[in-house]
Amino acid sequence: MRFTWKIGGEAGFGIMTTGLLFSKIANRLGYYTFDYIEYPSLIRGGHNAFEAIVSDEEVHGLKKEIDFLVCLNADTFKYHKQRLTSESVVLYDPDEFAIEQENIIRISVPFKKILSDLKGQPVMKNTIAMGASLAILGSDLSILNEMLDKQFSRKGEAVVDFNKKFASLGFDQVRKNFPTQTKPLLKKREDEQKLVMSGNEAFSLGAIAADCRLYCAYPMTPSSSVLTTLASWQEKTGIIVRHAEDEISVINTALGGSFAGVRSAVGTSGGGFALMVESVSLAGITETPIVIFIAQRPGPATGMPTWTEQGDLLFATFAGHGEFPKIVLAPGDVEEMTTLTAEAFNFADIYQTPVLVMSDMFLSESHKTMKKSFLDKFLDEYKVNRGKTIDTFSSSSKYLRYQLTEDGISPRLIPGFKGQYYQANSYEHVEDGHTTEEALARKQQVEKRNKKLDTYLLNHFKPPKVFGNIETAQTIFVSWGTTKGPILEAQAILRGMGIETAFIHFTHIYPLKEEVIAPLFKDSQKRYVLLENNSHGQFGKLLRMETGLELQEKLLKYDGRPFWPEEIVESIKI
Amino acid sequence: MSTIQDFTGYTPTWCPGCGDWGIGIAIKTALVQMGLNPASVIAVFGIGCSGNMNDFLNAYAIHALHGRGLPNAIGAKLANHKLPVIAIVGDGDCYGEGGNHFIHACRGNHDITVIVHDNGVYGLTTGQVAPTAQKGFKSKSTPSGIIEIPINPLTLALTQGASFVAQSFAGNVNQVVEMIKAGMKHQGFSLINILQPCVTFNKINTYQYYLKQSYKLSAEYKTDNFEEALKISTEMTTKEKFPLGILYQRERPTYTNELPQVSTMTLVEKQRFINFEELQSDFI
Repeated sequence: MRFTWKIGGEAGFGIMTTGLLFSKIANRLGYYTFDYIEYPSLIRGGHNAFEAIVSDEEVHGLKKEIDFLVCLNADTFKYHKQRLTSESVVLYDPDEFAIEQENIIRISVPFKKILSDLKGQPVMKNTIAMGASLAILGSDLSILNEMLDKQFSRKGEAVVDFNKKFASLGFDQVRKNFPTQTKPLLKKREDEQKLVMSGNEAFSLGAIAADCRLYCAYPMTPSSSVLTTLASWQEKTGIIVRHAEDEISVINTALGGSFAGVRSAVGTSGGGFALMVESVSLAGITETPIVIFIAQRPGPATGMPTWTEQGDLLFATFAGHGEFPKIVLAPGDVEEMTTLTAEAFNFADIYQTPVLVMSDMFLSESHKTMKKSFLDKFLDEYKVNRGKTIDTFSSSSKYLRYQLTEDGISPRLIPGFKGQYYQANSYEHVEDGHTTEEALARKQQVEKRNKKLDTYLLNHFKPPKVFGNIETAQTIFVSWGTTKGPILEAQAILRGMGIETAFIHFTHIYPLKEEVIAPLFKDSQKRYVLLENNSHGQFGKLLRMETGLELQEKLLKYDGRPFWPEEIVESIKI
Repeated sequence: MSTIQDFTGYTPTWCPGCGDWGIGIAIKTALVQMGLNPASVIAVFGIGCSGNMNDFLNAYAIHALHGRGLPNAIGAKLANHKLPVIAIVGDGDCYGEGGNHFIHACRGNHDITVIVHDNGVYGLTTGQVAPTAQKGFKSKSTPSGIIEIPINPLTLALTQGASFVAQSFAGNVNQVVEMIKAGMKHQGFSLINILQPCVTFNKINTYQYYLKQSYKLSAEYKTDNFEEALKISTEMTTKEKFPLGILYQRERPTYTNELPQVSTMTLVEKQRFINFEELQSDFI
């Protein structure tokens, strides 16, 4: 069982909130969801839409056909009618606009009349729509009412009851007028407890799990909800969140905090990261741990702020003047976001260098079901590993911040320890931190920093995950990060059609370890298809640079939209 | 009890006669007199002749990027607000490249002491004009004289909410020591703008110039009068008259005072938060 429920309306009237409410209700009823939002870079006046794909098994991506379309205005129908089929159900108010199209199932709900009869505010149209949707999906109002209790209880019983009234009127209209159109898709089913989480929330949770104590950011779509989520958790968790004056201050504040001993992170999108770049290099030479979260959106410059793209991979990977080590990670879904984020903080401390976590609007702002048991198990097993961070130094000799070592990593003493001192120096330096321009010391420090990536490849690099059987499959998808969901969905569709595929999913993006990757590409008879949400095939270039492998066949999408599983299927069907 | 020697690192490379020598010894003297030692203070340096003090002064230190010292200092303070944090920066560094950070650090009343070497030129890059130079100042980058009028750091700091604003002159080391100590004792953001002759690249703002154009604030001067401080500070721009001393001081809660997260202990000392169940209700 799998269906798409989509709601649309004018920007500024609570479409996103209502959509998320729907996802949460479906999860509480025992179902799995994946949702996706579409909105312009405006607060009022544009068109907002939200869709949730609901199933009794895990959902990883979108589904092109809309099964239930809730139109809060005429635009909703206009923009999305090409995705309707003869089975599609459209909820709308004939008092607001007419639908000529015959080959769909039309369910009329008198939004306008209910609102004016009860003197409701325009935003309560959403509540009517929610009631009507639950009716058509064969559910009841019990969970919606619970959630309205939770949402409005602070405003008093009268407000709660007033809102519930709109829900029940929407519900009753459908039950009374369209009894035969009801589909029993959202009957309560027993299943384990689930969480509805966006990629940004998963990053936030991963950061807290990893004991991140300082998060700095400047708002930038689509990363901003990390800032607001962590800011709202300050009281509970004790984290300090600084919304600084600009991204340059953001990263330098975080580096100051990290120098003084606390795990620190920053978050932004491509443009904000561009402002941070000089300081990424500072982190590289001063060997200061930092986690940098980048939620990509289509550029260049302001680009399309509220849409998605994987266009900053090469920029981010090579950001920073001079040569210094950097680790780039790219989670593919909320589960990987949580675990890789927490891991990123360990890597930053172990390797004392910047660690980048790459997301994009599609992962950052979409919600996906995460099993609570998955999260609990992870939180239980995760260990904070601060590497060679030390808070005491017992030797009688002088402490050397940039001591030459076999693995390239020097013990990092937390400032304040009595009897010692050192500087984190942005100039090239000798082992104790003092500035140098001497040839041998320069060479030694360059090599010491470079060695850290060799150590990483040896100890922590993870090869890509393979989905499907790479031995028997003829077609093998190759991708990185957030395209995971659409590819998994496409694989499932293809499996249903009798076409077996495999998928090589990279999460540890840079540096890459040739000897473990090359064997995955050894069969020259197979069809390898590189999929990326950009126009340059950036990961393909990186893969070639790091391993010498070159993928000829590419499926690239760069219109600001994520992949439809269906278009992946289309492209590989021969 | 520490000594000057404890704070002394490499021998400075400043030009003979540079105002930085006076500031360097004043900083060390102030730290000793305050009972600090190299392990009990965080120093953040910008880039420039002033920032080169990183190798001459022993402390837990960050030699930052040009212009970015203040946010590094703020971050260190957030992580460990019990350690005093000083930022040793230049005029081009702090008022030019890092001007935005300066404004917002004043607003936030971050408890850091900002010691600005104000010499009107970029010394380390061999003498281009700085934002504090008087209008018409000729330099390698402004051969016909700078078109802009000078930034007024004191007025700027005052109007953006700095809770301690002082000015000093590198030619009077004792006064520099007193200003640094007062600034460090002040709870909140403190600015000490130090008029510092660059003997190599600035032939206008010399020791003689500042001796003639500067004056000490009188003993009767009230440091809590904002309007008076503002009036006096503007005279630097309008009359080339440079007041020396504490222009303004009025305490208000510091940034970390306003953070309940660190009301009982510093951020770095705290125990890890592990009550994850508390956060999960947001997702149900």
